[in-house]
Amino acid sequence: MIEQLTAQQRKLAYLIGMVVLMLPIIVLGMPATDEEGSGGKLARLRQEHDLGESTLGKVDPTSATMNLVLLGMRGVAVNLLRMQLDTQRDQKQWAQMRATTESVILLQPHYIQVWRYLGWNLAYNVSAEWDAVEDRYFWVKEGAKFFMQGAERNRLDPEVYWDTGNTLGKKIGRSDEWKQFRRFFKEDPDKDRYDGGPDSEINPDRKDNYLAAKDWFKKANDAEEKHEQHIMMDALFRSYPARSQLDYADALQREGQFDETTRKAWEDAYRDWVEDFGYMRFKTTDYPIFMEAPASESAMEQIIAASGKDRASIEREIDFYQNVCNYRFWRTKAHAEKQLNTTRMHSDLFEGEDLFKKGDIDAAQEVLETGLQRFKTMLETYVELGSDDITLEEGLWGIMLWQKIYQLKNQVQPEEFPLKGLWEKELNRVPNLQHDFNRKYGSS
Amino acid sequence: MNFDAKPFLLFSNFDNGLLHWLRVFGGFAGVIFAATVLISLGIYGVSGPVAVMGRVRQGLHDFLNLSPKRIWAIAWLTIIEAVRRKALLVFVVFAFLMMFAGWFLDSDLRADLQVKNAVSFALTTVSWLTIPVLLLLSCWGIPEDIRVRSLHTVVTKPVRRNEIVMGRILGFSTVAAGIVAMMGVVGYVWVLRQVPNNASLICRVPVYGTLEFLDNEGNISEKGINTGDIWEFRSYIEGGTKASAVYKFPIDTPADQIKLESRFEAFRTHKGRIGQSLLVRYVLVNPTKELRVPLDSFEIQEFNLNEQFIDRKISFYDEGNKDKRTVDLFDDIVDQNSLTIAVQCLDSGQYLGMSRPDFFIRLPDRSFAVGYFKAVFGIFLLTVFVISIGVTSSTFVKGPIATLLTFSVLLIGQGFREFMIKLITGVQKGGGPIESWYRLVTHMNDTLELPDNIGVKIMQGIDNVMLGGLWLMQHLIPDLSSFVMSPYVANGFDVPWSVAMLRSLAVTIGYLVPCLLVGYYSLTLRELEAK
Repeated sequence: MIEQLTAQQRKLAYLIGMVVLMLPIIVLGMPATDEEGSGGKLARLRQEHDLGESTLGKVDPTSATMNLVLLGMRGVAVNLLRMQLDTQRDQKQWAQMRATTESVILLQPHYIQVWRYLGWNLAYNVSAEWDAVEDRYFWVKEGAKFFMQGAERNRLDPEVYWDTGNTLGKKIGRSDEWKQFRRFFKEDPDKDRYDGGPDSEINPDRKDNYLAAKDWFKKANDAEEKHEQHIMMDALFRSYPARSQLDYADALQREGQFDETTRKAWEDAYRDWVEDFGYMRFKTTDYPIFMEAPASESAMEQIIAASGKDRASIEREIDFYQNVCNYRFWRTKAHAEKQLNTTRMHSDLFEGEDLFKKGDIDAAQEVLETGLQRFKTMLETYVELGSDDITLEEGLWGIMLWQKIYQLKNQVQPEEFPLKGLWEKELNRVPNLQHDFNRKYGSS
Repeated sequence: MNFDAKPFLLFSNFDNGLLHWLRVFGGFAGVIFAATVLISLGIYGVSGPVAVMGRVRQGLHDFLNLSPKRIWAIAWLTIIEAVRRKALLVFVVFAFLMMFAGWFLDSDLRADLQVKNAVSFALTTVSWLTIPVLLLLSCWGIPEDIRVRSLHTVVTKPVRRNEIVMGRILGFSTVAAGIVAMMGVVGYVWVLRQVPNNASLICRVPVYGTLEFLDNEGNISEKGINTGDIWEFRSYIEGGTKASAVYKFPIDTPADQIKLESRFEAFRTHKGRIGQSLLVRYVLVNPTKELRVPLDSFEIQEFNLNEQFIDRKISFYDEGNKDKRTVDLFDDIVDQNSLTIAVQCLDSGQYLGMSRPDFFIRLPDRSFAVGYFKAVFGIFLLTVFVISIGVTSSTFVKGPIATLLTFSVLLIGQGFREFMIKLITGVQKGGGPIESWYRLVTHMNDTLELPDNIGVKIMQGIDNVMLGGLWLMQHLIPDLSSFVMSPYVANGFDVPWSVAMLRSLAVTIGYLVPCLLVGYYSLTLRELEAK
């Protein structure tokens, strides 16, 4: 029959065929617009299951093009790049390695483990290869920026947000070089480029590193509402914003800042820990619980009713989660630290040591004695802190300084002194601590 | 910068340079001649060798009576043909890349790294665009002439076959020169505009020396300590001990001041004082006069170039005489045109790593354009090499095969020689191709011993024959890494004459001569009617 048609008729028939075939393609594959529910069936399914490139995060046109051009060779290309990356790492070609890292990520923009591995590599491994602190900080920043980029491209995934917070918080605030890193976070060492301020890419709001980290941990928690994370237990993961606030307050103390800012920081930390994190619901096997539940009789009754378990089982379970997060300790610690007496105690012990180092031992003795007395008051109020290593060592260190002053004065120390009970109770800790003390200030 | 700049010594001994080439070339030519004579004797009797000698005589005659005019005529035709085949469209691609490249280069990097990226990009683009175009043109030129029979109209004219080959190579090389020069200039302007304002385009001229180590006891040692690096490029000396790295630099012209640059690496076994880099000290040594002049110590900047200046008159505290003393750098320290500098690390428990190219005397810089255009010339030389191989192979095989052959030579010469050498020398585990295949199929790790049976022996025997072929290839295919001169320029160094330029020039000429001979005889002896 087709043979009987003229050339023009055949062309017309083909055209009609094409239009007919086009219809299901349009129905199925029409791309989505900004409006919800727009697009073809496939586009709607992508939206529904968060599978679309744009729903996953910011689309990088270069990346999309690269993957399209490579077709099925993407795996081979990635393998070659990873081998190149290893060679560049071995041969310490850091700038080239950074460029290769970008190329790998172009090909694997939604592979979370790649972001996590390469970001860690920059922030931790490459930075440790450099000798100058400024250079190390540069590579920590590179790692943090890399994580931020990863979070932007994978906004549904909570893990890269968490990594960003972890790098800004722990890497900057807990490294051997934490003093310099924390300062650089607010005043970048590249003064020409950042005009004496921070690198705006990682610290646009000129915040403390722990407060910046807190923002990223909050984003991680928001993302975790919808998508599961596989880094750690849920209760621990969700505690990080509050933990960052605790770290912030602690860092201010470590730096010798004992003013209202620090006390306020502890106050905020207590609120974050107890009021935010303490009331956050966690799913256990089949019912939600929260850390502060035992404090509320009605809450406990609701949980018991929902779970169908007895009170003892529920309490055991909550106790387990509290232990995992060291919840009760941090609650007590934050509560203690927000008290004026505690702030002044830290201030006295810090100032006492400072005066001691300057040689003003009379003034040091007086300030230390006041501090030790305040320490005793704090311990009496917050007995739980009597088992905290850092707290105890701070007290014992204060006593050693106080004893040293008596030695320097060739005087016999009084039989009774404010923390005598603590000293006698913790005598087993003294030798190690005394060793560190003697290294710093000389033995008697 | 990790290139180890070892000079290329053309006449140093019989194994190097020109004499080595003569030995290899003469050997090959002799073997081929002897084989041809013997085969012709076997097939045609006495008339065979006579005919062979006749061909040799004809060849000598043809090469001794070359006509530059005819060669240029062929070359000119080749240029016109290249233009007709739209070779110059490569400029459109180049322009396109240069227009948008800036979008994809990271402008947040440190200024010197931006310079590095921009220079590398410009030079890589020039070579990646030029070489494939010329490779295809040179491989398809003669086969296409044979196919459309235009070569018949040429060979019937009084043009010798070697003139055709030479004309082709000259023509394509002229096209390459034009393209490379044009792109080089545009690339240069682009680099000048691309680099940030605070970056400087420099062209250092280094003088490298020799390096030997003294261990913790002060005894001479071939290497320092390995601190656990997989890459053994650098060796380490321990701080606060007698260990030192002793560099000896050739120096002949006295100057009021010399500039030293170093790029040492630190390795810490303890944190040390945070915020303070390792302390390094140079000690100038005259071994004949037993004079040791310590200079002021300084903190190293790792992965950066540390600059130090030494004045001609140096005052120092002489520990032997317990007195301050002044010495003249050239009269008292330089010994037999050699300056010896011992490098020490002063931090106890820390280590300082170095290799030969990490420390050098820096002569006055040259203009950036000098280094850049030397690298462009390197690209041109590589293109000429590719053209020579392409044109020659196209005289005895068809276009696709010639392309494949030339591409393989280029690929192996630039990137796979090291792997090939590892295979031949047995450093690369896993055996030859059959053994590798056997291990893959049987999931057998390369550290496992193969069973001792006849099958394995046969397999390894075949592998050995194949590896023998690879050995021959390794000697036939040159190391083309010296042609890639962009790393020097990208890292702010001049392209050294003896290390890169001379080596590349020698390789190009060294391959051009046998290519002309092979091309001439292939074109003379082949059947031009063949399609």
